[in-house]
This record gives sequence, C-alpha cells and structure tokens, in this order.
Amino acid sequence: MQASPRDPGGPETVTQEHLLLDAAERVGRVRDGRVAVHLHLSRLKPQNRQDGYLRVAGRMLEPMVSAYRGQIFLLSNADIVFIINQPSPIDLKDHIHRLRGLFAKDPLTNDDSGDGVDLFCTLYDLTFDFDPFFAMVQTALAEARGRTRTSQAPELKPLDATTLAVVLERLTMLDASPFVRRQSAIALSGAHAEVIFQEFFISVGDLQRALAPDVNLLGNRWMFQHLSTTLDRRLLDAMRRMRLTHAPPAIHLNLNIGTLQDATFKTFEDSLPEGVGLGIEVQILDVLADSRAFFETHRKLKERGRHLVIDSLNEATLSFMEVGRTGADLYKVDWTPELREPHRRDAVMAALKHVDPAKLLLARCDSEAAIAWGVDHGLEKFQGRYIEAMLAATTMGVCDKAGACTLAQCTARHAVITGPLRVECGNNQMLDTPPKMRNPKRKATP
Amino acid sequence: MTLSAGAPITSTENLLLEYIYKLERHRHGRSACRIRLSLLQPMNRREHHVRAALSTFDGLIRRLKGQVFALSNFDIVVIFKDVAIDEVQAAMIKLRFLFDDDPALMNEEDEGRASFVEWYVVDKDYQTLLRMAQGLVNDDIQRRTQDKARAAEEAAAPQRQKRRDPLTPALLAKLQNALMGADLANMMRRQAICAVVGQAPPQPLFYELFFSIGELQETLLPNIGLDSSPWLFQELTETLDYRVLSLLNRHDDRTLSGDVSINLNVQTLLSQDFLTFDDGVKSSQRGTIVIELQKVDIFADLNAFLFARDFARERGYRICIDGVTVDSLPFIDRGRLGIDLLKLAWDASLVEGKLPDGSPLADYVRKCGPSRTILCRCDAANAIQVGQSVGITLFQGRHIEQLLAAETARLRGGPATAARRRS
Repeated sequence: MQASPRDPGGPETVTQEHLLLDAAERVGRVRDGRVAVHLHLSRLKPQNRQDGYLRVAGRMLEPMVSAYRGQIFLLSNADIVFIINQPSPIDLKDHIHRLRGLFAKDPLTNDDSGDGVDLFCTLYDLTFDFDPFFAMVQTALAEARGRTRTSQAPELKPLDATTLAVVLERLTMLDASPFVRRQSAIALSGAHAEVIFQEFFISVGDLQRALAPDVNLLGNRWMFQHLSTTLDRRLLDAMRRMRLTHAPPAIHLNLNIGTLQDATFKTFEDSLPEGVGLGIEVQILDVLADSRAFFETHRKLKERGRHLVIDSLNEATLSFMEVGRTGADLYKVDWTPELREPHRRDAVMAALKHVDPAKLLLARCDSEAAIAWGVDHGLEKFQGRYIEAMLAATTMGVCDKAGACTLAQCTARHAVITGPLRVECGNNQMLDTPPKMRNPKRKATP
Repeated sequence: MTLSAGAPITSTENLLLEYIYKLERHRHGRSACRIRLSLLQPMNRREHHVRAALSTFDGLIRRLKGQVFALSNFDIVVIFKDVAIDEVQAAMIKLRFLFDDDPALMNEEDEGRASFVEWYVVDKDYQTLLRMAQGLVNDDIQRRTQDKARAAEEAAAPQRQKRRDPLTPALLAKLQNALMGADLANMMRRQAICAVVGQAPPQPLFYELFFSIGELQETLLPNIGLDSSPWLFQELTETLDYRVLSLLNRHDDRTLSGDVSINLNVQTLLSQDFLTFDDGVKSSQRGTIVIELQKVDIFADLNAFLFARDFARERGYRICIDGVTVDSLPFIDRGRLGIDLLKLAWDASLVEGKLPDGSPLADYVRKCGPSRTILCRCDAANAIQVGQSVGITLFQGRHIEQLLAAETARLRGGPATAARRRS
C-alpha cells in the first residue's frame, strides 16, 4: 500500500475517494454478503492521526482485507474505508477491536455520543445498507474535491540539517531581546495570590516569523533540541542586558543541562542582582539523555541555592516514570481539559501522590476551569495565560494610566521586556511590580 | 632462503607470479582478468565486499576451471580455461551489480579512466600478464614496508587522543547525503547477547546487528566527533535506520537468519520503509527479531512509542530499551513501559551494586526480571562477575565475544585466534 493517506491528489490524479466510488458502484451490483467498514480516524485528535499512525492502521487491516477478498481505501481526510466479502463476524470484530486498542489514548475510542452510536467506526451490511453507504461515499468524494481546491496554503519547510545550518547562521548576528517573553507564576496563600517567580523564554513563534518564516522550527524534535542549545545562549545574553524597573522575586529560565556548564551561564549568574532567586527549568528528556550530568548539575545548583524545576510533565510522562526521583524543587504539570476525565485525573494524581503539593505547579492554565481543577486537587501554584490576564486586570484596577488601555494591551505589555510594546505603556513601574491579587478560588466561587 | 623486506614468499602476489611462470607452457585456451576493486571507494572495498566478490567464482574453482587470486591491494585476478568464459562473464555481471553505485563503475565510460576489469588472452598477452604480476609483487613489498613504518610510528605514540571537531548541522547534512548513496554492508557488525551462568561458556541468545559508528566516522568524517551533539546524533540514527532496513531487505536471506536485534527509532517503526521491511520478513521470523529503541527516543514522544510498541508487538516483534545507564535506571520501569528487554550499559560504578539513590541494584534487577536485563558493553571479565552478583544473566560486549571465540577455538581444538576482531 503505497498511497499517501494525506494526499488529496491534483485534478488529474485518481484519488482514493474516486477509487472508493468505483468500488462502491461495482459492489452495488452484487451486494450480497458484502460488508463495508468506515473508520472515522479524521475524528481523532490531530496528534493521534499523524501519517505514521494511519499507515500502521492500514497495515493492521491488510491481512483481513486480503483474506476476505476486499479492498481498502485511505481517504484524504485520514478516514479508512474497507469493503470485504463474507467476513467472519468474529474476525471482523477482533480486528476492529485491536485497531481501537491502538488508538486507545484518544477519547474517540471510548466516547460514545450518548445515543449508543459508535463514533470510531460505522459498519455497513451492504445487503441491506447499501444506500446510506453509497451516500457516504459520494459525500466523501465531494468533500475531498472541496479540500483540494481550498488547501492551497503554502506548507512550511521541515527543519532539517540544511535549514538548521542556515537558521543557526542567522542567529549568530541576532539580539534575542525582542523575542524574550515572560510569564508569572503565582502561589495562593490564604486570601491572596502572589507572584513567586517570572519565567523568561524566547518566543519560538515570533523568532520563526522574523528569522525563517518558511521553516517550521518545531517540525523536527532533534533538530529543535540542537537549536535550543544556541537559543539558550542568546537568551542568557539578552537576560544580562535586560533593564527592568524592578526585578521579580525570582527568575526562571528554561535551559538545557549542558548550557549550565557554559561560560555564558556563569556570566549571567554573576550579573544577577543580590536577592533575586534563580530557578532552572529542564525537560524530562534532558534528564534522561544524561542522567549523570543532571544529578551533578542539580547538586551544584543546590549548593548555590538555585532551584531546579522539571518542566512540561503530562499524564504520559507521569505514568511511565517516577519523576519524584529527580529530587527537583518544583514539578510543572501541564494543564489540559482532559485532566477532568476521571481516569486521567486518577493516573496523574496517583503518580504525584508522593510529591509534596507545595512542589507542584499547574502550568498552561488558560481558563478559569484550570485553576478551579487545581484548587480542587490541592494545588497551590499556577502559571499560564489565564494568570497573565488576571494579573493585567488587577494591574489595571490600580494603575492611574489604565484609562487609555485595553486588557489585551496590558497583558501583551506585561509579556515583553523591551521594544515598542513596553514603550507604549505609560507605567513601566507597574509592569515590573506584580500586584497582590485576591485568591482566584474565592473569585471563582462567590 | 632470504626474505626481502619482510614479504613472505607465500604472499598471494608471489603465488600469482609463480602460477604465471608455470603457465608459460600451458598458454593456449586460457584467459585471465584482473578485477580492480582497488579503484572502488574505500568504503566499498572492505573485507565483506572482497569476500562477496570472491564467492562469485566459487563454482569455477570447484570445477577446476580456474584459479582465483585475492591480492593485498583488494584486486582479484582470475585465470581460467576459455570453456568457462560464460561463467566468468556471468560472475562479472553480478560483480558490477554489487558495486554499481560506486563512481569507478558509474563513470567507467569516461575517457582515460582505468577500466574496472582488465582482460588478457594468456597466449597472446603473456608478457603483459607477466609484467603485471611482477609489478604487483613489487607494489606489495613496498606496501608492507610502509605499513610496518606506520605501525611503528603508531606504537611510538600510543593512545594519542584524536582531537575532533564537533558535528554541525551543515556537516550532518553532508553526512546524510553521503549515507543515502553508500552501501554500508561493510560497516555492519554483529555482537552476541548471551546467557552466562556461573563459569559455563556463554550461550548466544540473539545477535545485535549494528553499524560500527567508529568506522563510519573514520571513513566519512575522520576529524569530526559524531557524538558531540546528542541531538544531531539522534537525527543521524534516523538516517541510518533507513539504510539498515534497506540493507536487511536486500540481504534478508542471509543477514536476518537466526535471532537478531536491530536498532531503530520510534518514527521509523511508523514509516513506509519499516512496513516494506516487515513485508519481507517471514511471519515465523518476527518472533525472533528484537527491536532496540533508545530511551530518549521513547520518552521524546511516549504516545508515539505506545502506538509503535503495540503495532510491533502485534506483528510479533520483541522490544528492548537501549541506552540505559546506572544513573537513568531508576527512571525506567520496563514492566510499566510494556517492553520485553532492558539493556543496561556497564559502568565501573556498578561494582558498588547500588543505584544513585542508594537502593540495591539487585532489587532493581529482580523487579525488572533477571532474564530480561542485559548488561551490555562488557569489555572486561569483572563486568560479568559484578552482573552475576546482582542477578543479571544476560551479557553482551567485547569480553563476551572473546569468550565465544575462545569456546569456538576450544571446540575446534585450536588456539583462540578469532578474538582478533577489528572494532
């Protein structure tokens, strides 16, 4: 099976949808004993329907399809349709079951729409259900044609060794300051919420637009990891030059462990004002890549009173490794709405049961629901876009220059450390002095 | 008897010359050809290639229709009876196929280029043939003298660490390009994973097939440290994956026979190349193939790993997590990851029998499964003793290879010579 599951084809090419229509027309003449199955893989979450997954799904069905003299079609929207002749019902059920198992991580495979309809797959016994099947096939073809016409957006180039070489070259001349963003983390204490640190990072999206608008910098994990080692140095340079009216209580930086041995880090650390804390956030991948270096670095950071943070934890990483063994000072768990599903919540909470709640932070909180979930589960520390908006709103409540500003403007100005956005703000003092907020929990439940 | 410049009288070059002298009275009805493997790119004329090339003439020798000489400059000279000309021509087609991506064959039509095969009609070209053989003997003597001098020089400056420049993305791009066209069969190595119980000789369970990175480095980028960036190296392994799969597709009859393990990336398992490879594997064989995945690759995208794992196991492959060190061991729960085997790299600190957090290594091994934990990179005997003391029964490494070679030699009743392995 060589057909690319994603290629809708040009106007001249025969698409999978065309072939399916042909096959459906032929089957229409001899419907007896024929069964068609429509797997709605297009309904999977985007990360679960990558080309590789679809290829493998098709492969898993091949033996059955050939055993029952059938045909399989990988549609351009990622759906799979196959038609087979007099299959053993057990065999068919078994294959669909195994395929469902393969996608078990996706809610599609366990959700039903409430009315007993299986959202993952539709079965057509063509002896009786030919007409609805044929209608579905026609719709699929029409939709595929529509997609071919509309999907003309230029694709970004993947980041490969050649493009990375170019990007790195452009990066050597670059002052990263305009691309540095900051985000505050808060801790709840009693009736109040206070900023405990600010994380500074380079906005990859903005950097990409400025440096390589035609390249997807995040499109290749290993290449990006390599790029990030250079970004680390650019960030540290920018941090050294940063001029705020007031330093945050602590600065957090997302760095590679290797960077901490670099002279750039030493220079930055020396430039850090007295009394400002420093936290280093690392990825679990970096911990695993060289665990010895990780433990050694952690020990040295500890000696200097620095904090070590494990970043970007999620249900999968927490379920498969005991992150508590890193001995970190803080663990950042990414919020996703799926955490509200009981089995996911239980998996995450079970993995964290040995970790002191004071060492946990819920990151990527983009809604009030995220904060509410965190509070309900005993978390005290939060970070994310929703927190930024709350801080901006509180700032506007007390800022004497707020009359001319919108909340979006205030949020955007908080996020940068230099450049026009910051200049536009009439009160830089307030931008750098996080206000004390009321405990969001109280706000959420009046 | 005097030997000049250390050239043994029995060198192939000498044997060839002697044979040609004798041929003087039997010149009629014979032809000769010289296959100039020496013109090939160095990476195309490793031992493996010469052996493959020589084997094409096996039939000829068996039926006493010809003589084959494998020279020390990699060239092959075949002298045969004219009745066997068809057979020799057929062998030549095979040879050209074997090396068809080498510049020496690709640009053969270029004027002034030495041709890959030189033909001689012995009767007519006897003097030319004789001069060629004499020239070869002289070249061989010269080469031996030079080799000796170089060896002496290297011995005088032992263990001088080569300073290598770091691998950059630009170099990686070049390397990936070079690899796409290269035949890496000669860089493929095998190493046994063995059960070692007590003092008994190792029992091989399966063989890991891998590219010798050291040799790859020496051949393609001698002054570059390929492992200077773990991430660029990881990217390089993805390119190597496709090469290993295409190689195994080509040689599936031979290389894949027996129980083997291959190193792949998660993304490769989801690629069309792997599905094509899977097509070529007999279903009975899949159960004997182990797929080794690096720990960073597994944790880089756990969902992709879980997907690929389920698929691979469904197809009958077994999975091994590789690249685990004593420091990362506490983070790896083989059972929870649903992986069949775990490879722990030998490290001197294992002697203490403890994990970094102080917990006993033996407890970890018991939980992981003694028959599921492989101690690899065992270069010395104490690795086995230490491994056994914490309950490990499976081992891999140079020391194991030596034990295996010694055992083979013992069974044959000869001295242990097979341990001379180029790494």
